[in-house]
Amino acid sequence: MKRKLISTLLCVTMAACMMTACTGKGEKQDNAANEKTSAAESTNGTETNTPEEVTGEKQILKVAALEGGYGGEMWEEIAKAFEEIHPEVKVELTVDKKIEDVISPAMKAGDYPDVVHCATGREAGLTETLTKEKGLLALTDVMDMRIPGEEQIVKDKILPGFLDTLGTNPYNDGVTYYAPMFYSPCGLFYNAGLLKEKGWSVPATWDEMWELGDKAKAEGISLFTYPTPGYFDAFLFAALESSGGVELFNKAMTYEDGIWETPEATAVFELIGKLADYTEPTTVANANNDNFTKNQQLILDNKAIFCPNGTWLPGEMADAPKSDGFEWGFTAVPAVAADAKPSSYTFFEQMWIPAEAKNQEMAKEFAAFMYSDKAAGIFANANAVQPIKGVSDSLNAENQLYYTIYDGDAAVAVMGGFAATTPVEGVSMTDSLFNKVNSVMSGDVTVEEWQSGVEATSDLLREAME
Amino acid sequence: MKHSKGRGAFIAVCVLPAVILFVIFMLIPTVNVFQMSLYKWGGYSNNKEFVGLRNFMILFQDDKFYRAFQNSILLIVLVTIFTLTFALIFAAVLSREKIKGQNFFRIAFYIPNILSVVVISAIFSAIYDPGNGLLNSILAIFRGKDASPILWLGDQKIVIYSLIIAMIWQAIGYYMVMYLASMSGIPESLYESANLEGAGKIRQFFEITLPLIWTNIRITLTFFIISSINMSFLLVKAMTNGGPDGATEVFLSYMYGQAYTNSSYGYGMAIGVVVFLFSFGLSALVNLATRRETLEF
Repeated sequence: MKRKLISTLLCVTMAACMMTACTGKGEKQDNAANEKTSAAESTNGTETNTPEEVTGEKQILKVAALEGGYGGEMWEEIAKAFEEIHPEVKVELTVDKKIEDVISPAMKAGDYPDVVHCATGREAGLTETLTKEKGLLALTDVMDMRIPGEEQIVKDKILPGFLDTLGTNPYNDGVTYYAPMFYSPCGLFYNAGLLKEKGWSVPATWDEMWELGDKAKAEGISLFTYPTPGYFDAFLFAALESSGGVELFNKAMTYEDGIWETPEATAVFELIGKLADYTEPTTVANANNDNFTKNQQLILDNKAIFCPNGTWLPGEMADAPKSDGFEWGFTAVPAVAADAKPSSYTFFEQMWIPAEAKNQEMAKEFAAFMYSDKAAGIFANANAVQPIKGVSDSLNAENQLYYTIYDGDAAVAVMGGFAATTPVEGVSMTDSLFNKVNSVMSGDVTVEEWQSGVEATSDLLREAME
Repeated sequence: MKHSKGRGAFIAVCVLPAVILFVIFMLIPTVNVFQMSLYKWGGYSNNKEFVGLRNFMILFQDDKFYRAFQNSILLIVLVTIFTLTFALIFAAVLSREKIKGQNFFRIAFYIPNILSVVVISAIFSAIYDPGNGLLNSILAIFRGKDASPILWLGDQKIVIYSLIIAMIWQAIGYYMVMYLASMSGIPESLYESANLEGAGKIRQFFEITLPLIWTNIRITLTFFIISSINMSFLLVKAMTNGGPDGATEVFLSYMYGQAYTNSSYGYGMAIGVVVFLFSFGLSALVNLATRRETLEF
């Protein structure tokens, strides 16, 4: 009997402990919420992460943005600027370097942000997944909207060409799903100081390129290096354009049958095969997430001349040791076909609205606001350049070097990427086309094997296109 | 009768929290993985399409999966053999022999285990650096300065072994401590009498030490399988990301790539199911194969 009493007592104590633990936590949370509320009220709405019940009749707009190379502060300024013209709206901002990891658990539970700024081509593949799953809202009407606080229509302000690509119309059906955001020309970076010192000129054709490669080899300098095979997207796309024109590029992006085996595409594959002979021999060993900066360092150390990259490279390598007289140089990818112009791929980030977003109208308003002078000014201050007419004029001299690459018809701009398909298990262009470059460079795979692998992948993806 | 009923209730109440947690955090997710492997689903939308065993059929024709499978098995086998051998030798030496700085060695061997994977990958990236890395610099003494550098992380035939070395280096300390603990429990008298009988050190190790810590070794074999699968993912993610061109792709890195980057969540879960069954089966097999009569002292 006594034993039973003790055991009952123990049970009750344990249960009581559990109860108090639970309620304790609950109260704590309530308190925290209350504190936040008062903080938000006292600062008159500058707090961005306000619980819903606080704002009363204020509409909450959930914005999720990637904290990329341009930093996260600009988004806070944007949120504030948007709240100024829409006092009835409270912008709830989530900014993170790995934004996918932060927002996707809630998304899986059905709680979607209203607007997301997150580009394609990232490892977590959030944008692609939603595209493939038909989880995006069409933005064609946003492009026809009047920019909040201005007279102009959105699409009239966007640079020509940006709305006609697979980078904004992923299904190739003329419907815009991604709003084009910060853009950056990609091309070949080099040490202008080195070329000046040696008296070498920047090659305008691939023949001149090989000539320079032989000259440099004699001095123990390699012609070429690359950070990781992923950087071959911009390089390959530019080369495809200058080999077979925009037609070849678009057909390749939409997986047309046999397109990768045409003579024009073959020329591009062979070009990269030949480039393998001129590539710095240790490049493959460092072409991974941990060590890619060592490959970029080869340019700074005068061990290699050219490296395909985007305009973020000088910022990324700002603190790295540089050889004497180092000076950044930037050029488009020389033309593959004899009569074509050099070309440069334009990388741009995207903003989109999930189809499941609750405040779709306000989200569209926010997307349109991105193209206002006010917003563009805030972004430009952080060196984030939008495809808006006249924005690149306000850049500093160093940045202008990159954005003037297309000026005077010197180079052709290439935009877009592979068309969205329903997911094909175990098959991706990233593996077949880009990652294979490492094997081509190290001689594990021949150019012909690489090419036929890409065509096979293209066949599979074409079937998955709708 | 009444007494035992009360006792049963008490036990039930005591284990209930653990059971609830186990069900919520282990059982349900596992069942979910099995269930989702039967769907074609990107991970977000509501349009899940039931495809039955199609994901598995694709999986068994997927060359990249077989490559990841091979790499994982190679990793499990080599890491287990080498780590087990080294950890046993070090543990035996440190527990049986009187050597100077014994405690220092115990700590030195254990340190790699408390380092995070990112730090380990940074250390080994520096060691494997083709230009001025530790390994190539030492080898240059023998190979001559002008020999072309060995690409430890670039050569597709070598790179998986480079990862294996890093994993062994990382794991030895942990298992050494486990073996040390059970070795120190063996009564000294057994070794004394063996000495009197004229058994040498090596004989003592195989006839006394090994049989008496056998239970411990069996448990660690299961650990080896599980931790090799998990650790290899972390190391691959930090160091090579499966590259160059899939040469270091392992089970979980391939699963991650398919489930997220390639938007095939259902397919990723099918890989998860295969990994689950494989590690379960292998552990059971190892357990069965190493069953011996338990010796006690």
